[in-house]
Amino acid sequence: MSELATRATVTSASAKAPAKPVRWLRLAAWLALLALLLVLPLYLGSEWLKAGQWMMTGAVGSIGLTMLVGQAGQLSLAHAFFLLMGGTTYTVLASGTEDGRVIGFELNPLFSMVAAIVVTALLGLAFAPVSGRLRGIYLGVASLSLVFIGLYFGQSADRLTGGTSTGRTPAPFELFGITFDNSGGLVVLGVPFRQAEKMWYLYLALTVIAFVLARGAVNSRVGRSWRAVRDHEASAAAMGVSVARAKAGAFAVSSAYAGLAGVMTVLWFDILKPDENEFGTYGINVSIAYLAMVIIGGLGSIGGALVGALIVFGLPQVLSLYSTQLGIFTGSGEGAFTPILVSTFVYGAAIILVVLFEPGGLAAIGRRITGGLHRERKKEGTSR
Amino acid sequence: MKRRLSLVLAAMLVIAACGTKAGDQGSSGSDASGVKTDLGVTANELTLGVMTDMTGPFKNLSIGITHGNQLWVNDFNAAGGVCGRQVKLEVVDHAYKADTAKTLYPQLEPKVLGFVQVVGSPIMAALKQNIKSDKVTTTPASWSSELLDNPYVMIVGTTYDVEMIDGMSYLQEQGMIKDGDTVGHIYIDGEYGANGLRGSRYYAQKHGLNLREVKITSSDNDLTNIVTGLRGEGVKAIMLTTTPAQTGSVAAANKALGLNVPLLGNNPTFDPVLLNSPAANALDRLYVVASSVPVAADVPKAKEVLSKYKAAKFPEPPNAGVPYGYAVAEVWGSVLKKACDNKDLTRDGILTALQQTTSADTGDLVAALDFSKPGAPPTREVYVAQPDASVEGGIKYVKPLFEAPDAKDYVAPHQK
Repeated sequence: MSELATRATVTSASAKAPAKPVRWLRLAAWLALLALLLVLPLYLGSEWLKAGQWMMTGAVGSIGLTMLVGQAGQLSLAHAFFLLMGGTTYTVLASGTEDGRVIGFELNPLFSMVAAIVVTALLGLAFAPVSGRLRGIYLGVASLSLVFIGLYFGQSADRLTGGTSTGRTPAPFELFGITFDNSGGLVVLGVPFRQAEKMWYLYLALTVIAFVLARGAVNSRVGRSWRAVRDHEASAAAMGVSVARAKAGAFAVSSAYAGLAGVMTVLWFDILKPDENEFGTYGINVSIAYLAMVIIGGLGSIGGALVGALIVFGLPQVLSLYSTQLGIFTGSGEGAFTPILVSTFVYGAAIILVVLFEPGGLAAIGRRITGGLHRERKKEGTSR
Repeated sequence: MKRRLSLVLAAMLVIAACGTKAGDQGSSGSDASGVKTDLGVTANELTLGVMTDMTGPFKNLSIGITHGNQLWVNDFNAAGGVCGRQVKLEVVDHAYKADTAKTLYPQLEPKVLGFVQVVGSPIMAALKQNIKSDKVTTTPASWSSELLDNPYVMIVGTTYDVEMIDGMSYLQEQGMIKDGDTVGHIYIDGEYGANGLRGSRYYAQKHGLNLREVKITSSDNDLTNIVTGLRGEGVKAIMLTTTPAQTGSVAAANKALGLNVPLLGNNPTFDPVLLNSPAANALDRLYVVASSVPVAADVPKAKEVLSKYKAAKFPEPPNAGVPYGYAVAEVWGSVLKKACDNKDLTRDGILTALQQTTSADTGDLVAALDFSKPGAPPTREVYVAQPDASVEGGIKYVKPLFEAPDAKDYVAPHQK
């Protein structure tokens, strides 16, 4: 794992600091993408918006994980646990008691969301004694235990989680007097803004904030200390980096991101329902899916994590929506070729291809393309 | 650069201003014959939704149910349909994944009047709020009485808790358990198991039984140690709210350890494939309670459905899903007819018609159903059956439809 991460940085270092025009071009591309995302709810049906929100949930979680695994070099399979913790904290704080069946405080949803992020960050920090001592696959296995603790928590703390039987309903998000559900007759350019449209903007805002903050962290002193610790702990310590602090910090930040993704998950599902066994909304499979996003995207690359989320969380959704619309991949029973199966193949193949041929992930391919552009421009400049 | 950027933004705004998705809402009104309609109904077609699992863990049962639904649609349309309209099914596969179901739902929902089948408790949980706010009447392929807090949920058959109460009174009637005995209940944590346990707790409390509860997860497959533990407790019977594989494990251990007590399982605990498993000859102490009949039931309607199934040449062998799927759709048929008589084929009209349905008859495929009491199971009658390799579907009846007195008094969690 750490070898993979090192190789990823070598590529990133060689493509560092592009010249000015390229940086402008990149900014313009990001802004154009943002503008496109802002107008999409006016055109897409709510099923596509719903799929897009799921991808954004994945994006927020995988940005957190890519900082931990790619930048700080710590393997974690505990992401699903922090999703559950974030979702539970939000629901307990923001929702009601449902006739005394569960504990609820009916606090402000925005406050509850922030509190969920803080609580998960603290939980991540509490794991620091373990994450500071173990490395690589050993840390991965140790962190996996958290997923099982989460499973047990979900089943036994049913006054908080609502129990595996019925779960509980999270309070809808509210901001500036706007409730993010079907209520309110807001109409923009002739399009009625219901839950799907309003949530789109909420999720987009959260994703943009998560993205910008992560970019800031990676490009600053904090990010340098993470990379130093990842590459060589002793030399990092010699340069004055507190290894234990950098490691604990990375885990806390990554957990906070997972906590936010957890809040987004319960709001997306309209329900907090802990898993009945280890494969569910907060199970091992989800931890692995997040790791897959990070690996496909390119370890440590924030933009890559977005693309990874697009592939891993987006593909099954988009394929099943398209196939029901067009009637492709139909069939049933043994050996049927279905969207779920196809997307599993695609992302399995993507991981294998990435690990074999491009350990830097999709991010490295992206860098090579923009790097190529950069060189061409330079050539143009000298010939002129 | 800035100019280019502003150009892009301006272009976006221009595109945004013209031709958005505005104005593609569902239409509502009345047709020429005065029948009110809204979503899922056109001048000559009426669409019902099916959200099923064709590739996931419950594909065998789900495909059976879907084929059963389709057989009914063929019969119903051949008989003229309803209000001059032919019924059509819109089928999607969510592969038992709640996130996929959650995305497919907004695509399917505007096209359908109601859902004749939604497979799986995780999917029902995820869609609960949507079903309420879209007012779309839905039949889940899940029999938990916890679902009945939603007026739009139509459960066809009885619920797991009532099955348990009826089943335990059968054991007592046959002298296999008596008041004050110790009995065990092995259940999967989650909606299914918790609901079954609710029933056995109620019965145990009424009859002073000493109930030993054992919680497992659906992925535990070797239950030998649990049965050993229950033997140590001196249990006289074991209740099961488990998967078929777990039923097989308990049955095998029950025989191998020389415990040999009767086993009582909710309707999903038995699958004919158990008869080809190593546990096959340990199944003679298993009793299964259910309110819908197995494939080979000695009921004229069931025989008719089976022969139609064979004539339709579906590639899969028939299972209990087929008569159940047919029966569910048959209930939908009587609700649609009632709604048509009320001249109201809107979603609200369907709910009204459902609540007026006090005697849905499925030709004994399922016990007689009454949907007029919100929150209460529509029936409390069950059959008791035992595995038998010699009949088609692998299970035969030992007691016809009945309702235990204890089940009659039982108050379901959301019953008013």
